[in-house]
Amino acid sequence: MWGSDLVALRPEFYHVLESPFTGEKTVCVRALVPDYAVIHVQECDVYGNARILGPSYQDALLARAARKTIITTERLVGTYRLREEPKLTAVPHFLVEAVVLAPGGARPGICYPEYQQVDDAGMKAYLRAVKDGTLEQYLAAGEGRE
Amino acid sequence: MHYGPAEMMVVALAREIREGDIVFHGLASPVPMTAMKLAKALGKEFTYVTLSDGVDPDFTRPAVIGSTLTANTYEGSVASFGLGEIFDLAASGRLDIAFLSFVQMDREGRINMSYVGGTYDRPKVRLPGGAGSATLTPVTRRTTIWKTKHDRTSFVKEVDFATTAADPAKMFTVVSNLCVFRLHNGLLEVDSVFPYTSLDEVKANTGWEITQDDALEYPAPTEEELRALERIDPYRIRYVEF
Repeated sequence: MWGSDLVALRPEFYHVLESPFTGEKTVCVRALVPDYAVIHVQECDVYGNARILGPSYQDALLARAARKTIITTERLVGTYRLREEPKLTAVPHFLVEAVVLAPGGARPGICYPEYQQVDDAGMKAYLRAVKDGTLEQYLAAGEGRE
Repeated sequence: MHYGPAEMMVVALAREIREGDIVFHGLASPVPMTAMKLAKALGKEFTYVTLSDGVDPDFTRPAVIGSTLTANTYEGSVASFGLGEIFDLAASGRLDIAFLSFVQMDREGRINMSYVGGTYDRPKVRLPGGAGSATLTPVTRRTTIWKTKHDRTSFVKEVDFATTAADPAKMFTVVSNLCVFRLHNGLLEVDSVFPYTSLDEVKANTGWEITQDDALEYPAPTEEELRALERIDPYRIRYVEF
């Protein structure tokens, strides 16, 4: 963060301290604590043990940071599947508040490797719905769509 | 073989990568992505890490869309290394290059990625912010910036806001569609000009006054580089940014 105008502009987020170990000046950044993290995964069990099969971005970190994490999933799987490969479980159940079965839930975005092309028309329709305040109709029209 | 600004920039960025480097590109980065694949295709030994968890993904699989946040930079990887881990790697001083771009830059290498016009809280245009540039620029070993549109709205006399700034103690390079700048004594100087343009054109498109009278001509792409580029980028994703 050195050299950034952000440090002086946002004292509620950034603070310069001396390292207690080396005395070096260090920019401390306040932790962000989102109220909710909503994370879409490929596989999850009913307890919220969630597998990310493919790029995981910052999803596991978000789940640890948020007060409540909601998992939406392409498929519900049995807990025995998770026991076969525990390392594939990116988010363990105790961090999860709710699980929603939502096949196609990342559309119009992508979910590797289930659907890998952004749905441009769908993205435009979504943006239009947000702008026009017709999000509920948009969501109702998409119900059951995979 | 014919080449234009896209090929020249990809080749110039690929040449910035050194043997043994650990190099990162983020999202919306078709030119650096192509440059990293090109450097791999030319046999340069370095480590390729990406936002999509990939470590040395299979560079022979061509990208088919302009997004650089897809399975293309993940499939064929030898390991999975997430973005949080990449930031830790950078903070511990082990990331050599993170290819970054900008909306405004001034002569001292201050970079604006926050807003243009108005104030921070009530901007005319809100920009993506400093997640990449503010956190990575101070800790990567060599700052390497690309900008596909060299004009007076991007290379400005004074930035509206410094999201991050150059560290004069470190190598700082800017590759545009016209030239290569490098930081000397805290100020950007034209290091070399691409063969299809001139120092006068660079001056005319730069918002600060360039006082130098001459600059070297940057070496054109070689046949070998252009052939390798065509092989790894057959769908010409490199043009997405132009």
